[in-house]
Amino acid sequence: MTEPWWISLIKAAVVINLLLGVFAYTTLLERKVMGRMQLRYGPNRAGPFGVLQPIADLVKLIRKEAFTPTQALDVPYIVAPVLSAFTALAAFAVIPFGEGWHVWRWDVTGQIVDVPISLILIFALGSVGIYGFIVGGWASESKYSLLGSMRTCAQLVSYEVSLALSVLGVVLMGQSLSLTEIVEKQGDTIWFAVPQFIGLVTFFVAGVAETSRAPFDLPEAESELVAGYHTEYSGMRWGLFQMAEYVNMITLSGLCVTLFFAGWHGPWAPLGPLWFLLKVAVILFVFIWLRTTLPRLRYDQLMAFGWKVLLPVATLNALVTALLVVAID
Amino acid sequence: MSASLLLPAATVGNLLVWIVWIAAAFACLASGAAVVSFTNPFYSALALIGNLGSLAVLYLLLEAEFVAAAQVLVYAGAVMVMFLFVIAYLGGQADAPWAGGPRWQTVGAVTAAAALLVEVIVVIGIKAGGRLSDEAAIRESFGSPAEIGRLFLTDHLLAFEITSIVLLVAAVGGVILGSHARSETGPAAPDVQA
Repeated sequence: MTEPWWISLIKAAVVINLLLGVFAYTTLLERKVMGRMQLRYGPNRAGPFGVLQPIADLVKLIRKEAFTPTQALDVPYIVAPVLSAFTALAAFAVIPFGEGWHVWRWDVTGQIVDVPISLILIFALGSVGIYGFIVGGWASESKYSLLGSMRTCAQLVSYEVSLALSVLGVVLMGQSLSLTEIVEKQGDTIWFAVPQFIGLVTFFVAGVAETSRAPFDLPEAESELVAGYHTEYSGMRWGLFQMAEYVNMITLSGLCVTLFFAGWHGPWAPLGPLWFLLKVAVILFVFIWLRTTLPRLRYDQLMAFGWKVLLPVATLNALVTALLVVAID
Repeated sequence: MSASLLLPAATVGNLLVWIVWIAAAFACLASGAAVVSFTNPFYSALALIGNLGSLAVLYLLLEAEFVAAAQVLVYAGAVMVMFLFVIAYLGGQADAPWAGGPRWQTVGAVTAAAALLVEVIVVIGIKAGGRLSDEAAIRESFGSPAEIGRLFLTDHLLAFEITSIVLLVAAVGGVILGSHARSETGPAAPDVQA
């Protein structure tokens, strides 16, 4: 039997809590890894090796005053971080983390909900999530915030095109928009990271820009814009923006694993979701690694790179893949 | 499917569809009215996003999942971001729709809208009145990306190609207009149109 709605609800609760846990410990991992790469220890006071640091951070954020500037427009100012966090968490619903199991009487699928157009759904939720950043910066009535949200807007729109085009090759090879089918196809044939290597590179670069991570963290370049769109936010509202950014990064890593590294399939031993988690962890590490290694781009470099290098490469990759798929068929 | 505790599953499903339909339809009308009645253009743009979003929900109810997702991705996502970008940059306040302007304009607009509404109702009543009570037969593949792609490249090939040429012309026109504006103000001018 297919799963009843209450199993989906249980899965949703489990996955969201796991996602928040991974988010909390990604911040710790980031600070630890960055610390080591910069020849210092990183947080090591809260608990052994600093493992309680995310909890201490959370308690601090909750107890902090949620400040509102006098000129700010209340409703959009408060709704914006909620919208960002919501779309970030919702996008993970369609990412398959396992093959699916047979539990007692029901066939439980390996993701919260299996829709045939899951790939487009993720992009659609991502494009709605941008509004949180734009509206938040605009509603703060501050020059730094407005400039930050303008930058976010221009950067995310520019790189979204390359991101969507870079996965087109995978869609052509998998002949489906369903993430489950794409993973199964890779399990049967070859991990798409090999034939779609250029697609993988463009996807990853565009993905780093989409999540506003270094070296593409211009929306919140602290040396120019204080903190960009979230300059006027504090307490848990700021925490929600931060959560959205990290959860987007985790979702993007999950999407990368699903599209290019065969999701839950491993080279040996059928560990299922453990393989998925392991691959996501490796990609998250690469995100952090990039941040400590590369300096921030200048704004004109960012735009020129996005439109004049990344977009042509992604388009060419999609064209060549389409030709080859037709020729081989 | 395990039936609900009180009602058969089909009834619960139908009830849900009705609730979602009523909510989406009202959201659609309310946000449409909000677009023209806000004095702050930024809020109008946000209301338009809400309008496009609730239209996407209506598409979902019509089993057109691909169209719904594309609607959110392209219109509510990409196109409206550009609107917000320009509005946030330029700022300013628009006049309320009822402020200024001759009174006959308001009367004319309301009359035209009412006439259109009556026409729509009459046409639907005459054309489809007898058939609305039967459910349409929907195939399994209806609304799937594969089916839409097949229709684009077979039955509607001409319209599809003409649309793509129009879009190409518009893109080239945008580039030419943008570069023209830049060469007048010098190469280092800020790229407002982005």
